[in-house]
Parts: sequence; structure tokens; C-alpha cells
Amino acid sequence: MGESSFGGEWIFAFLIIAVIFGWGGAGFGGGNANVAAYATMADVNSAINNQSTQQALAAIQLSSANNNYETAQLINAQSLAMSNQNNTNLVNAIQGFNTTNQTIANGFASVNQNIADLGYKMDQCCCSIKTMMLERELQATTNALQNQQNIAVNQAQSEFLLNTMGKWVANPASTAAYAAK
Amino acid sequence: MNPIMNLLGNNNMMMQALGAMMRGESPRTFLKNLANNNPQLKGLNLDNLEGTAKDLCNQRNIDINSLKSQIEEFANSNKS
Repeated sequence: MGESSFGGEWIFAFLIIAVIFGWGGAGFGGGNANVAAYATMADVNSAINNQSTQQALAAIQLSSANNNYETAQLINAQSLAMSNQNNTNLVNAIQGFNTTNQTIANGFASVNQNIADLGYKMDQCCCSIKTMMLERELQATTNALQNQQNIAVNQAQSEFLLNTMGKWVANPASTAAYAAK
Repeated sequence: MNPIMNLLGNNNMMMQALGAMMRGESPRTFLKNLANNNPQLKGLNLDNLEGTAKDLCNQRNIDINSLKSQIEEFANSNKS
């Protein structure tokens, strides 16, 4: 393979590349801070620790995001439940008010009907009283008329009798005692 | 794959060099071609790779033997 082993100059070519371009180009340690050099065990451990820290941080961030999402979901669900409950309460309250209003309206209708009935009965009562009074007045008038008729009849009879008796009066009494009467 | 490479990501340059080496290409030719598109390599003496590599490590205070052993480990783990 020609110079495929490090027996030739390839090792120096690799050395030059490693020094110029560094190992992997991801931050190597070394004695000179201005150049890329080979990694030390401290660099490797630091990289591993940093990687572990980043993974842990990512896991924490994901967990936090999931928690936030679940919390938001719970809040949404709770808000929806509260909203639904409030709507149910409002509907029940409105239905209750409607029932109460209907009951009140029915009560007023009944009262109005009773008042109308009462007015009608009062009219009937008044009419009956008037009729009764008229009947009594008619009876009284009838009675008075009958009395007057009786009186007239009595007077006529009396006048007849007196007239008849007047004949006797026209003829002087036969005795003074009788004349004194 | 080298666990360090796994952790820190693949190095495209190293993988390209490894492929060129496996294909039997010349390291000088590979680096010179690479320098056409990477200004970081320009100005380096690519005719004397050993001297350039040592100079770079010295300038940057890198233990060349330690780096060399890691590169060998990397190359061996990527051969199969």
C-alpha cells in the first residue's frame, strides 16, 4: 500500500493537519489557548459532563413544557366545566323565574276572575235588593190603596146610612133628649 | 470509531487524509492540494513535513509524541 503505514511521512502530514485544523474542531484543550490541540482527559470529561447536563436540561425543559401543557389542559377543562355549570345554573334560574312568573300570572288571573265574579254577584245582589224593595213598596202601596178603598167604601156606606138616617134627622126628634144627641 | 471522535464529531480533514493514505497517495501531494482551498496551510514548507510538523508543535507548545500516539490510535481505529 505504499505509504499507507505511518512508517513514511504520512504521520507528519497527520500531525500538521491535527495541529492546523484540530481534532474534530469542537473545542480542544492544550497548552496554547490560541490553537487547537489534542484533547485531554479533562476536556473529554468536561464534554461528557456538559453533554449529560444538556440532556438533563432538555429533559427538564420537556418535562416542564409537558407539565405546562397538562396544567393548561386542566385549567381549560375546569373553566369549561365551570362555564357549563354556570350556564346550567342560569338556565335553571331562568326556568325557575319563568315558573314563578307563570304562577303569579295565573294567580292574578284567578284573582281577576274572582273580582269579576264578585262584581257580577254584587250586581245580582243589588238587583235582588232593589226588586225586593220595590215589591215591598208595591205591597205597601197596594195595602194603602186597599185601605183607601175600604175607607171609601166605609165612607160611602156611612154616607148612605147617614143620608138614610138624615131623613130621620130632617124630621125632628120626638123628644128633647133625643134632640140633645 | 475512536470514542473521542465519536464524542466531538468527525474531522473531515483527518478522514480525508486517512482515505488518501489508504489509497496510497503521497502525503505531500495531498497537503499541497489541500492548501489550494485552505489558507491555513499556505506558507508552510510542505516539502519537509517532519520539520514543519515539529515546528508547529513547538510553536504551539504541543507534545508531539503524545499527539502522534493519538493520531496513530485514530488511524488504526479507522482502518478497518
